[in-house]
Amino acid sequence: MDIDALAGCLSSSACLVTQTTSGLIIGMLLFLVAVGLTLIFGVLKVVNFSHGAFYMFGAYFAMTAYQLTGSFALAMLAGAAGTAILGLIFERVFMSRVYGADVLMQVLVCYAFVLIFDDVVRMIWGPEFKAMGMPAAFQVMPLFIAGGVVPPYYLLLIGVALLAAIVLGIGLSRSRIGKVIRAAAHNPGMVSALGINTGMIYGGVFALGGMLAGLAGALAAPVRSLTPGMGFSVLIESFIVTVIGGMGSILGALIGALLLGLIRSFGSLGFPLFTEGLMYLFMVFVLVSKPTGLFGKEAA
Amino acid sequence: MTELEAGRAQALVPVRSGAVLQRYRDVLIALIAFAVLASLPLFTGSKALLDFVIRCSAYGLFATSLNLLVGYTGLTSFGHGMFFGLGAYSFGLIMQKLGLPIPAAFVATLAITAVFAAIIGAICVRLKEIYFAFVTLAFQMLIHSTILSWASFTGGDQGLRGGIPRPVFLGIDLSNHVHLYVTSCALLIVGLLAMRQIAQSPFGYTLRMIRDNAARASFLGIDVWRAKLTVFVLAALFASMGGMVMALFVSGAYPEFAYWTISGEGIFINMLGGVSTFLGPMVGTVLLLLLNDTVTRFTEYHGIVLGVVILFFALGLRKGLLDFVAEWYAHRRETGEER
Amino acid sequence: MLEIRNLAKSFGGVKATNDVSLDFPDGSLTAVIGPNGAGKSTFFNLITGALKPDSGQVLLDGIDLAGRSPPEIVRHGIGRAFQVASIFKSLTVQETMLAAVSADQRTSAVLHKRFPLPETRDRAEHVMELLGLASKRHRTAAILSHGDQKLLDIALALVLEPKVLLLDEPTAGMGPEERWRMIDKVRELWETQKITVVFIEHDMDIVFKIAPKIVVLCYGRILATGTPDEIRNDSAVIDAYLGTEYAGAAA
Repeated sequence: MDIDALAGCLSSSACLVTQTTSGLIIGMLLFLVAVGLTLIFGVLKVVNFSHGAFYMFGAYFAMTAYQLTGSFALAMLAGAAGTAILGLIFERVFMSRVYGADVLMQVLVCYAFVLIFDDVVRMIWGPEFKAMGMPAAFQVMPLFIAGGVVPPYYLLLIGVALLAAIVLGIGLSRSRIGKVIRAAAHNPGMVSALGINTGMIYGGVFALGGMLAGLAGALAAPVRSLTPGMGFSVLIESFIVTVIGGMGSILGALIGALLLGLIRSFGSLGFPLFTEGLMYLFMVFVLVSKPTGLFGKEAA
Repeated sequence: MTELEAGRAQALVPVRSGAVLQRYRDVLIALIAFAVLASLPLFTGSKALLDFVIRCSAYGLFATSLNLLVGYTGLTSFGHGMFFGLGAYSFGLIMQKLGLPIPAAFVATLAITAVFAAIIGAICVRLKEIYFAFVTLAFQMLIHSTILSWASFTGGDQGLRGGIPRPVFLGIDLSNHVHLYVTSCALLIVGLLAMRQIAQSPFGYTLRMIRDNAARASFLGIDVWRAKLTVFVLAALFASMGGMVMALFVSGAYPEFAYWTISGEGIFINMLGGVSTFLGPMVGTVLLLLLNDTVTRFTEYHGIVLGVVILFFALGLRKGLLDFVAEWYAHRRETGEER
Repeated sequence: MLEIRNLAKSFGGVKATNDVSLDFPDGSLTAVIGPNGAGKSTFFNLITGALKPDSGQVLLDGIDLAGRSPPEIVRHGIGRAFQVASIFKSLTVQETMLAAVSADQRTSAVLHKRFPLPETRDRAEHVMELLGLASKRHRTAAILSHGDQKLLDIALALVLEPKVLLLDEPTAGMGPEERWRMIDKVRELWETQKITVVFIEHDMDIVFKIAPKIVVLCYGRILATGTPDEIRNDSAVIDAYLGTEYAGAAA
């Protein structure tokens, strides 16, 4: 424990800015992964245990696309589009077979794919740590805000994630397809009664969830090292986010992710070895005081 | 034996003697199984085979105890492995730091596990399904990160090294491989017998009622929360026993013992063997360990192989192996009766 | 004697049970009727502890049970069966009965003996005979017919030897013939077991035929109580609920 370091940081604006920014990027990345998880759970009532793999694939796709084309924009596109397609296939071919089955069965199918996907990555890209490297466009002087160092890429990352959150929020509440998705989350029978193909909706939601996780992976690729199995810790953290925020709640996912990001970045100063423990403690604390999460609906 | 079969057995004999007979039969089977396992070293010198049985004992105790939660009570815990790790670490630490006799350390570890399980269970068992699953998982990760970060006490990511002292007690020397082997088998058999007793006791039927319809159970005067907490603690004790066997076997304890993958494997084992029969998880244990051992010998990509096997069970059979056999058997009996 | 005193419960402003006071003397048979949403099931849920009342008392032989947990209330002698048969799908009829008796005898947490305990047998056997389930004892509850599942649900309540038995629509989801068989069974139980029975029922023919006393609920309030004749001729009931059809039939 290092309470002095934490207290010292809290009294210095430079350190506050740095830690808050790093908390925000952790939080925004987590949000992108968690919101897909929560959407999939909300609509399909399936806990996608393999969601971390989409984050991982997003990062690897982006790295390969960047190495081939040298274009950062194409790298992001490859990460997002590749995982969207992957999500669609995964849902249509495998997950659609276990709807309505025991939760255990669904978790097992996902668990199988966690194992398979990790090995596939190991086969294609090798077991060692990889780095995509910071794109040239962002290799510029960092910004100084109130004395704190903020790399420009961090701002881009936060901006893109925020944009995704806004588009998603508006899309779900305003557009027709968004309304259908929310209706499907509420009552699957009603949607098919309206003559809308639930299979399309389910596949689409899975693709969307996969795409968001993939985008998170692609955005993270320049600042994180890539390794098979990198999805798992992200998965666990996004679970914590969804559980804290409330399963199925998008706003909950955003708040939960930001809280967790800040806990991580400030916790790493005060409790360098127990940062993860802090997150779990926080989750336990939230669930004990409100068992359905901060924004969760009371279970029927 | 499935509940279906149990019902048939009772049809033939009056209820009371049926229940007692069943108990004698279980004890008899256990004794025979122990005799067979314990005499194995007389026929084979294969250390690999004996090691395999010891690992089966550790994982078998763990997986069967998980079935008390998942199969009998309908409590899907994703964090049951924490008690496996807790058992291994508590036992190892007590032996290293305090140097107690092994039986005393054994009992002390069970006591520690019971206290942890009671606290964690009190928080978790009132949560609903998916929340229960993830909060247990969170506690598992909490314990895992505590082990990693409290390096001065637990050895951090290096684990408890330097070996666990194994002083002789009652003429049993656990540093002797055969002694260790027979002791592991004895713990397995005693543990299984105890869990079988729990499953077939009035409490075991209370658990089944809670699994089927907890609300109705409470309208029969059953305190559901208390029953769930009780089985949570009991299951933790047997998982902890499995952890201790593992610690004795490797003469140490490693953070992986407390990692979530242990829980994942436990659930997989249960699915593999089947949760509707008492011995399903034991069959699953043997299958998984065999699978792991063979696959790692032939390919470095054993995740893919394991994943495909899981998919086969989950999407193909849609149930565990013993579930499959039991249903097939029940079906055959039924069609046979109609004839 | 079961006495309900000023029982009230609202859900977000809607008064589901509004100042209800009723007496159910020992050994009485009472039907509770009322249009959908009248608060009949809520009334049962309040008495049995499934819901906590906002105010009021539920006195059983002078002991106030309002707001206590379902297990406690069951132990004081109020048993219930459900509108949708609430049973244990993977247990056989016999196992269900034996386990329920165990629960009542406070042996449901016993670990060191084998199920079933010998002392649970007679009671289980008795109730299975009473409800005609003895021949189906080895059937798993999930594969029983709808009617038998309802009987099993009632058997579960009855095997606890309650002083008061609350039956939430015992004939729900049954065909006309089956309904009469079920209600004859209920009446037979009431006569032979000397217990207080309160049941919710939609079928007016059934209610008027077998219930010596009827309670009419409407919007959470008691609209009327009395014998079938009194209810049939009660102008408030006719206006609010029965309509002219029944009034005409009664005339």
